[in-house]
Amino acid sequence: MGSNTTEAHPIIANRMKKAVKSGLKIIVIDPRRIDMVKSAHRHLQINVGSDIALMNAMIHVIIEEELYNPAFISQFTVDFDTLKEQVKRYTPEYAAVITGLEPQDIIDTAREYAKAEKAMIAYTLGITEHHCGVNNVFDIANLALLTGHIGKPGSGIMPLRGQNNVQGAGDMGCLPNQLPGAVSITNDEYRGRFEKAWGMDINPIAGDTQTRAFDKMETGAVKALYCLGENPLVADVHMTHTRKLLEKLDLLVVQDIFLTETAKLADVVLPARSWGEVEGTYTNTDRRIQRVRKAVDAHPNTKDDWVILCELATLMGYPMNYNTSEEIWDELRELAWEMYGGMPYSRLEKEYSLHYPCPDESHPGTFILHERYHNKVEASGKQSPFIPVMYTEPVELPDEDYPFTLTTGRRYESYNTHTQTRFYASGVKIKQTEESLDIHPDDAAKLGIETGELVEISSRRGSLQVKVKVTEQVAPGLVFMSFHFSDVPTNVLTINEFDPISGTAEFKACAVNIRPLK
Amino acid sequence: MSEAAKVKTVCGYCGTGCGLVVEVDNNKIVKIRGDKEAPVNKGQTCVKGSFAYEYVHDKSRLTSPLIRKAGKLVETTWEEAYAFIAEKLQGIKSQFGPESITMFATARSTNEVNYVTQKFMRTVIGSNNIDGCNRT
Repeated sequence: MGSNTTEAHPIIANRMKKAVKSGLKIIVIDPRRIDMVKSAHRHLQINVGSDIALMNAMIHVIIEEELYNPAFISQFTVDFDTLKEQVKRYTPEYAAVITGLEPQDIIDTAREYAKAEKAMIAYTLGITEHHCGVNNVFDIANLALLTGHIGKPGSGIMPLRGQNNVQGAGDMGCLPNQLPGAVSITNDEYRGRFEKAWGMDINPIAGDTQTRAFDKMETGAVKALYCLGENPLVADVHMTHTRKLLEKLDLLVVQDIFLTETAKLADVVLPARSWGEVEGTYTNTDRRIQRVRKAVDAHPNTKDDWVILCELATLMGYPMNYNTSEEIWDELRELAWEMYGGMPYSRLEKEYSLHYPCPDESHPGTFILHERYHNKVEASGKQSPFIPVMYTEPVELPDEDYPFTLTTGRRYESYNTHTQTRFYASGVKIKQTEESLDIHPDDAAKLGIETGELVEISSRRGSLQVKVKVTEQVAPGLVFMSFHFSDVPTNVLTINEFDPISGTAEFKACAVNIRPLK
Repeated sequence: MSEAAKVKTVCGYCGTGCGLVVEVDNNKIVKIRGDKEAPVNKGQTCVKGSFAYEYVHDKSRLTSPLIRKAGKLVETTWEEAYAFIAEKLQGIKSQFGPESITMFATARSTNEVNYVTQKFMRTVIGSNNIDGCNRT
């Protein structure tokens, strides 16, 4: 669901396609006819942002036809009745109107998912980059709990992480509400462990997400931003607004490997070291910790990110000293031992990778989470609540002035704001070297435009010029752009509405108008 | 010409975590291939993992701290850059409180960098205003 796996996670896509040959059935749920559809047994080409209507209707069918797992539900879950009540009105016919699907396709999908011996839901930013992203994820969890498709081989929920260390960065505590080891900052006992080790009280109140930080820059409550290895000016929604906020700051420090668009606005820029020049670990999308190693010597006047922060901390009166990345890892392993205690560098060297939780060195790592669901001994453990959710339409729907829905994402050869992928090895032929506006042939014909022609695309927040690519990958009424190319900064158009819980912005839907320029 | 050294590592692009073998000659990455022993990819790589590495050696890499003087970013020393940041952060913290400072961490860097980043924010600054680029 909401994962263009072939382009964004090519190797995972290869494994999925290979599994099709040995009998795996893939159902693609995506507003675009993405490449994975070729390997799929069914494609539900839903309207952008209508995921909850679809999933609630699937739950409706599964309950109505008694295809759920009653033993699992009574043993491991609570609030099943609330879920039943919530999905009552989501008949396949009702959901069909919202999603643009046939009722029978929804019914068939629900039956297939529920009746399968093993079933997994993989999702990416097509689920989370909505104003209702958290509710979308809750509904995926509702489906898994309803059917018991979790905690055993070949089953479960799999968020495919977009960046090499998204999982790790959050697990390390680079979240406003979480300490290293992914424990809440409000947990007094756990926080106390870190206060003792660090010799300092830690604020027990959660901080701000990025999107809230931008709000507070607007009100003037946030005066300084220290930004590492990120290019928010180009990556974040509503670029014109983002620029104003960054320019307003009393202090903007950017630590990066290139003078990015964001760095150009900074008061101070610090030169960091890149992948290939540093030692450490990453945590991949399935909680696998693996060693990254230095391949080449960096320019002597650059420094590893942690060295910079330690030197600055020491200058500011809080000495932080580590000789190697391994010393940092060992400090973490001691403090968050439940997760990482059993995985020193020496063991990672030997075993290549280990899945956390791995509390001690005799522990094999945890390949599958939530196995307790199928372990009778622990059956008295805590029960998981269903969290019923309601469909809410995208914040900005198309209208007379802005008749198209723009959805954004990645393309195969480029990566995010393209600061690194603009440098391919020589001799590699790249297909997509500039931004394009992907539009359906019917819409292109109506507007009288063809592939390669320049159009002006505008939203309520800004406009830009871009070349057209006519393709049946998008449905009529839907257009697609990536955010890879800073000369065509797509996020000038996107809307600064975001999920109230996660702070993730609605990159996947805004209303736009398209005007031919000939 | 020396024989290329081979370094095993993990790809720095998406979250799949493919194991790579990086061939290095004369301190330059000359070739990358998938590591056959890697549990995730068993030797496979995508176009980014194999070929999009030239950025490491590009001339446009930052090689000196920069500081804004008379409206322009100009080269400076680490000492001057650190002193400026330390003074500004301490000034803002004492005048407006730790909550007036926010930090964006990077999901592209190592676990070790991320651990130190949040420790810096929670100890030196005293704020939980730390978030990553996880959502873009």
